[in-house]
Amino acid sequence: MSIQRFSLHDGPGIRTTVFLQGCPLHCPWCSNPESQPVHPVQRHARDKCVRCLRCVAACPSSLISPGPDGYPVFDRDSCQGCLSCEKSCPAGAISISGKQLSIREIMETVERDSDYYRNSGGGVTFSGGEPFMQGEALISLLEESAGKGIHTAIETCGQVPSDIIRRAYALTDLFLFDLKHCDGRKLKSITGADIDLILGNLAMLAGSGNVTVRIPCIPGFNLDSESLSGMFGIAVSMGIREVHLLPYHILGMDKYEQLQRQYSLPGEGLAKEVLEPYAAIGRSMGLNVGIGG
Amino acid sequence: MAKFNIETVQNVEISKKFPSEKTPLEQLEIMEQYTAVHKANLGSSKEMREARCLEVLYPRLFRHIQPQDLTAGRLDFLPIGFGCVTSLGGVGHYCVFRKLKTFREQLPESERARVDSLYEYWTHHDLKTVYNRETLQEGVLGMFIDTEYPMIATARLSGMMLDYPTLLSLGIGGMRAKIAEKLSESPDNEFLKAGLICLDIFVRSAEMLRQDAINQAVKANPERSRELLAMADALDRIKEHSPSTFPEALQLLWLYALLAGVINYGRLDDFLGPYLAADLREGRLDENGAYRYIRSLWTLIENRRTTVNGRIIVGGKGRKHPKEADIFLHLAMKVAKDCRYVEPQFTVRIDKDTPEQVWDEALDALGAGATYPTIYNDDVEVPAVAYGMRMDQATAAQYVPFGCTEFVIQGESTGTPNICINLLKILTIFMNGGIDPEDGIRKDGGVPIKPLSEYRTFDEFYKGYKRLLDFYLDLSAQAQFHSYEVMNRHVGFLFTSLLMKDCIERGKTLLDGGVRYLGGTNETYGNINASDSLTAIKDLVFDRKKYTLEQIEEALLANFQGYDDIRRDCLACDKYGNDLESADSMADDLYEFVAKGVRDRGIAIGMQYFLIVISNNQLNTEWGLKTGASPDGRLRGMYMNPANNPQGGADRNGPTAMLNSLARFDARYHAGSVQNIKFTPSMFNGHRDVIKSLFRTYFDRGGCHIMVTVVDSGVLEDAVKNPEKYPDLIVRVAGFSAVFVDLSPEIQQELLSRVLYDERKSLC
Repeated sequence: MSIQRFSLHDGPGIRTTVFLQGCPLHCPWCSNPESQPVHPVQRHARDKCVRCLRCVAACPSSLISPGPDGYPVFDRDSCQGCLSCEKSCPAGAISISGKQLSIREIMETVERDSDYYRNSGGGVTFSGGEPFMQGEALISLLEESAGKGIHTAIETCGQVPSDIIRRAYALTDLFLFDLKHCDGRKLKSITGADIDLILGNLAMLAGSGNVTVRIPCIPGFNLDSESLSGMFGIAVSMGIREVHLLPYHILGMDKYEQLQRQYSLPGEGLAKEVLEPYAAIGRSMGLNVGIGG
Repeated sequence: MAKFNIETVQNVEISKKFPSEKTPLEQLEIMEQYTAVHKANLGSSKEMREARCLEVLYPRLFRHIQPQDLTAGRLDFLPIGFGCVTSLGGVGHYCVFRKLKTFREQLPESERARVDSLYEYWTHHDLKTVYNRETLQEGVLGMFIDTEYPMIATARLSGMMLDYPTLLSLGIGGMRAKIAEKLSESPDNEFLKAGLICLDIFVRSAEMLRQDAINQAVKANPERSRELLAMADALDRIKEHSPSTFPEALQLLWLYALLAGVINYGRLDDFLGPYLAADLREGRLDENGAYRYIRSLWTLIENRRTTVNGRIIVGGKGRKHPKEADIFLHLAMKVAKDCRYVEPQFTVRIDKDTPEQVWDEALDALGAGATYPTIYNDDVEVPAVAYGMRMDQATAAQYVPFGCTEFVIQGESTGTPNICINLLKILTIFMNGGIDPEDGIRKDGGVPIKPLSEYRTFDEFYKGYKRLLDFYLDLSAQAQFHSYEVMNRHVGFLFTSLLMKDCIERGKTLLDGGVRYLGGTNETYGNINASDSLTAIKDLVFDRKKYTLEQIEEALLANFQGYDDIRRDCLACDKYGNDLESADSMADDLYEFVAKGVRDRGIAIGMQYFLIVISNNQLNTEWGLKTGASPDGRLRGMYMNPANNPQGGADRNGPTAMLNSLARFDARYHAGSVQNIKFTPSMFNGHRDVIKSLFRTYFDRGGCHIMVTVVDSGVLEDAVKNPEKYPDLIVRVAGFSAVFVDLSPEIQQELLSRVLYDERKSLC
């Protein structure tokens, strides 16, 4: 997991975003691909690597081997995240995402900015990955935060068991609920998501009035009037008023290379203005549609 | 006495000054006459000598009124003359030898010998040189700005902000009467007699400018002619009477400031607000007219080009006319935003009662890239000043930052920073057994230093460092105090003394026992590199025992070459600026040791206050060039951290974490601490409410001050490569703003190293 302070795009005000590791989906546009596995993951920046291969020697489980081009090759699935390779790297080319932190350690960091939250209408946001993948830890974090009077938000893809969402319900001030498509088949084939489960969870939360639907607008996937109208319709039918359209961006693209994975989407992000006509559709349906997080 | 080069550059000078209006031969004549009068008056009192010398300079050094001026008064400076500060001319009876040498080259060959005899005379009489001869110590105390030394000293009278309310209420005639009355009690008082001569000089200067205005009016178009005649009328009135309008008040204040040689102006909103309000109320000025006067003042101040001064302060506690002052404040905000000059250093003081509108105007100007206003938090500063300077809250409420941030009490105290100390260089000397690794010269001042192998605990090691610091802190108080003694021996700073409490009442010049509060400041550098170095040593050597002190020192002496592992570990240690208890508490501990140490010594030696300022001009970079590698992972020759901020790039947890670290230091022990922060326009302007609550929360937490640069990412990098594209790009260096492309490459790199907060970085 990792923690980002002074986040401005994960809910209102000044926030600290806690990224929990693990996600049940595999959206190809994901800007935090390192957070998809539940276990820690090495990122390796080839442009910084000096090919000294000290990491090969440093790994206690022999999970790093020299590659044919002189760069190290990582067996990421078995990595325990002991940080030996990161520490051994003289060039700072290796970083482990998903370090283990205790609830207390996380809360210590979160609480350091409490007064900034209070003055700006901000708080803490739990994101990921999918934060409910570590459901029990998430519940503890929510309890701790709510107990300290810190505004809590959860960013979820909705692909999680309903009972855990229900438990989080009373402890959460705001759900930022990602809706990626209204077409179940398309959604399943591209992201692996189960639309029934997601919509069921969304419907359950919708009654609370503290849900914002967030739609990542991905060209070639859902950036068309029909898809967006469909998703707006879902929001309307559930009585949800707030919808944010998130323009496709490529800020996570470099991470794919660092994970030795292919990035399959366009190499250019979307300007906010492109989304205006779509936002207008939503507004005409009675929604408050914002562009950006 | 230490050897020193009298031609060393004496101060930071980024902005290029205008060349003199006078021909080289005229300039030479003036300097010769000045020298002759000085020589002829060597037997006179210092006050009378000064007055006679000033008569040579003024009104002769006034330049012509320029077409854009609405207030009259621009001055030339020659390599020989009289002044208070190193930014304009020099200090006391001065000769800037380096500039005199350059000047010599402008003369025909036949006349150059005339310069040589002046040069020779002033090597015995230039005030700063006299001070240097008496004070500097080989190896430990160098002259401004000789970065080979761990500590440097000078004699100057920076940052004087005069008692303008008294000037405005009495007028020159009233001042004359006040002096005359005092003189009737003590007819032999040389200060008071010389003071009257000064007022005559003022009148002659006003008259000369009046003539210039009239002469120009004859040839000017009708509109300009009206302006010039209005100027002439104002000049005529202020020769005797107190001002009755805003333009007259401005003229009186400006002309007096020029003659006094002061380059910081103080709480203009409170002094001038009532005149402005009355003119607006009674229809003598409309808002546009008032704006034009203030804008003209901005231009006059910019054109003085002092680089690190030109302070105008608005807002805050303790204003006598807050309602009227706010009229000036709002117009000044607009002028600052529109002008985007590097000077004046426009400063707003705020507190919990400051209206939203002031915040919004300040953020608008900053968001436009003006780098102004710099913002001071009165809720923290006023009680801090009261404690630090040992005075009541009402007096403390009249604090004003000058120069890079140092505080004085307007009209009541001196606060000149005549000492700079490099805490990091002293650490590298300490770790190397008293020898500066940069040049192999012993700089321990005779303080015994144990070999590194003998330190068994971190505390022992830290104590050893503190013992060496103690030596330097002792010396700093002595050298500062001695600068006052030397200046007092030779000059009275007459114009300044006449407008500082309680000089006239006591019949004594400023440094002769006249000034109410004799204060001073000490600029500390390398604070954070030093504390981060201590953090790294504690962690790596004493807590984790990964390396010995000798191993670390070996790596430092090699500038980490061949010691990549050690450097990596040093860099990986906790760093100040990340809201981490380990690094921040170390920084705080070192801060308190140094700040309290300086303060206690100042009180003991007889000053009202002697406080550190974490002010920083560009010396963090220049001194870094001459400072060895350090245990925080900094390489030899690399810039040091700017002011109270982390080393560039060391803060990685975002602005809240950095500000939390900055807010750690107890403001009671310093007289100003610069806190820089840099945002992209999209972050700063696109999230204005967030930025406002960020700053407000920081202030709630005890943050005393913030100065802001708003610049797009990549712009500074591009400006390094294509300077011609960015003639107007202004950045906050630390305690001053500058046109980025005028800065040296090393300083540009230091600025680039600082973290730029961008909204995209927070997108996930």
